[in-house]
Amino acid sequence: MTSARIFAVGGLMSYRALFYWLSPMIYIPSLVVAPIFQILLMAYIGRSAGLASDEFYVVGNAIQYAAIPCLFAMMQLVGGEKFQNTLGAILVSPAPRLPLFFGRAVPVVLNGAFVAAFSLTVGSLILDVHIPAGSIPALALVIVVAAFSCTGLGLINAALALRIRESAVLSNVFFGFLLIFTGANVPLSDLPGWMRTVSDYIPFTHSIEAARQLVHGASLSSVLDLVGAEVVIGVAYGVAGYLLLRFFENQGRRHATLERT
Amino acid sequence: MKAVRLLAFGWYFQFKTISRSPFEGLFQIIYPLFFATVAFLMFRAGTDQKTLLYASLGAAVMGMWSATSTTAGGAMQRERWHGTLEALVASPPHFSLILLPITLAMSTIGIYCLVATLLFGRFVFGIDLTVEHPAAFGLSIVGTVLSFGALGFLFAVSFVRFRAAWALGNLFEYPVWLIGGFLVPLVLLPEWTRPISWSLAPTWGMNAIRDSSLGGNPWPDLALTLALGVGYVGLGVLVLDRVLAAARKRAALSLT
Amino acid sequence: MAVVEAIDLHRTYRTSTGTIRRKWIDVEAVRGVSFEIDKGELFGLLGPNGAGKTTTIKMLITLLIPTSGTAKVLGHDVVKDAREVRRRIGYVFGGERGVYERLSGYDNLRYFSELYGVPPKEQKQRIETLLELVGLKGREHERTEGYSRGMKQRLHVARGLLHDPPVVFLDEPTIGLDPVGARELRATIASLVEAGKTVLLTTHYMFEADALCDRIAVINKGEIVAEGTPAELKQNVAEGAVVEVEVFGIPDQSVEQVRELGGVRSVTVEERDQAQVLIVQTGADVELTSAILGQLDGANVGRVSRREPTLEDAYVSLVSSEE
Repeated sequence: MTSARIFAVGGLMSYRALFYWLSPMIYIPSLVVAPIFQILLMAYIGRSAGLASDEFYVVGNAIQYAAIPCLFAMMQLVGGEKFQNTLGAILVSPAPRLPLFFGRAVPVVLNGAFVAAFSLTVGSLILDVHIPAGSIPALALVIVVAAFSCTGLGLINAALALRIRESAVLSNVFFGFLLIFTGANVPLSDLPGWMRTVSDYIPFTHSIEAARQLVHGASLSSVLDLVGAEVVIGVAYGVAGYLLLRFFENQGRRHATLERT
Repeated sequence: MKAVRLLAFGWYFQFKTISRSPFEGLFQIIYPLFFATVAFLMFRAGTDQKTLLYASLGAAVMGMWSATSTTAGGAMQRERWHGTLEALVASPPHFSLILLPITLAMSTIGIYCLVATLLFGRFVFGIDLTVEHPAAFGLSIVGTVLSFGALGFLFAVSFVRFRAAWALGNLFEYPVWLIGGFLVPLVLLPEWTRPISWSLAPTWGMNAIRDSSLGGNPWPDLALTLALGVGYVGLGVLVLDRVLAAARKRAALSLT
Repeated sequence: MAVVEAIDLHRTYRTSTGTIRRKWIDVEAVRGVSFEIDKGELFGLLGPNGAGKTTTIKMLITLLIPTSGTAKVLGHDVVKDAREVRRRIGYVFGGERGVYERLSGYDNLRYFSELYGVPPKEQKQRIETLLELVGLKGREHERTEGYSRGMKQRLHVARGLLHDPPVVFLDEPTIGLDPVGARELRATIASLVEAGKTVLLTTHYMFEADALCDRIAVINKGEIVAEGTPAELKQNVAEGAVVEVEVFGIPDQSVEQVRELGGVRSVTVEERDQAQVLIVQTGADVELTSAILGQLDGANVGRVSRREPTLEDAYVSLVSSEE
């Protein structure tokens, strides 16, 4: 019961306290309008290069943009506390670590999924991309899985934020990396071989592919292997992030680096 | 003459502080390279035989614009964080003579972005830079930096009431890349966006840089980008006067 | 003619509360402040936090427009001739912010020399002189991010004096400094007056005002409650006496009972380690020590003393009298 409360209430409270993006003056430009602009930009570059259809870019960028809320929010939840000098207070608390950190992740996943779903909807309307009504529930699932998987990467990002001063830079670097490697904009077949290999092991690649197939009318069962792969990637990153957090926490206790801002 | 000296020295000192920041400096240069990479890969894979040099120049100016748009909107907030805004406002010159060099210094960082992108294109993607009119190319870059700084000045004074001015500045990154025709020819965009493209100095700066590199007449483009820059500054000064009057009268703008 | 002249200055802030249903509240930060400062005088504006000191100074240095009332500096109106005023004043505020951290102290001064239009030929000499004055010579080419708080505050002082202004406004310049740093800075301030400058200093340190100022205005809740030389202000309470009683765990109602005693002017309680010190100001002709002790029945009483009032007592009785 206690773990459940730390998971749910603690997660939500810290999200509200630290994630000041919830202010509409930041949320709307950064998470509502910007992804639409990214979709339009990439779709038009695609037209200019004569590369792929609008649908390709709408789906790819709507999902890839979920990296912004997922990466930044997780970074903020840990790094923000370091910045406000509240991290020490939390780390000395006897709260079990697993629900503490994963509890923080749930609102992040939901918000990331919302950002992706909203940009997918609006992007499709503007560029006249048809999404079959029957695919919508499956698409929703894929989007949540994509946000979950990227939040796993976000946990690694958050762990690194314990050690790196300019953690916002790191989040942006991850974002740029995902922009190139996930096939959101460059078809995987056009990536150099080594980049394609990398793309198999990072968040979003499989869910973007699954979402594209769903928009083409594929059934959920035919993309289940892609969804499964994305879940596995998310869990792997999440576990790695959690271990990294514990490691840095211990290191921090040993070398007194946690409160260094 | 005094004003010119003030602008020049203000630019010099502000540029010095910005280029010493690892965040504002190095990251500004690296970040556009992600977009450049995407653009190069897309153009390389695409069917339309536009030269990669077209993409390289476009991506380079994208980086220049990022350097301005992501920082200039928050220029006054930045001074507030430093705690220097009051001291600047309380000094005798018109505040625009103090603020304009700040946004110009920010857009000057864009030259690093331009050079980094062109070098990146050359050494990673093998895109040779050919410059038909070197002198015009150099002048076009300077003119573009000036007009970006001017637009940044207009952003800085317009967004000053918003605590999250940086978020608004960031918002203008993608649309200007798109509507300025950096990687997408304007004819591909819907007709109604044309007047917006024309009213943006970046559109003409991009044209001037491209024309002087690929061969063409950059001078009308350069003149237009500078003229628009002057217009932005004029407009910005009007807005700034109102903002400062409000700040003194209603304490609407906390200076500290 | 007065160098600085404030006539019935008022300043109201509008603040809102609540996010959904906004309520606007007018807060009167300054309510009718008037004073004059003569040439060469060091004038102190003394008051607790939130009394209106900074608001007053911001109106005088043209950063805020008074809601009503007028102010002039060297005959120039702070609203209409803001630029003329700005040319002639220096402004120094306390705290470690307000410098460009990535520039050296020297570059910080160079930048503001340009803003204040110090002639290029004189800049170098002027900066050297000021570095000497504030004791930063030898450290001027280091980036200010490595400066201590005291060094940054001294840099502020140098910056405020770049254009050799005849009038200098110092807003809590010694706040947060260690005792040695604060003493050095006070010596610098004293030297400004010797150099013929007119200085307005705000502070909430009594001894600082006592040591430095020719004249002091005590400001409380936006109004000037007393004005005069330090000696004159002490005079207000000079006929009284102060009784200090050390008590371990003082009941609230005892404080109230002491306050009710005839002849008591003010009562304050200071926390000191485990004990509280009850400070009672009384009239001169009454001896209340035993009466006070009588009200502390049951409490554990330590040292008891009776002494002459200081400027601090005068100040306390001024700012607490209206409560």
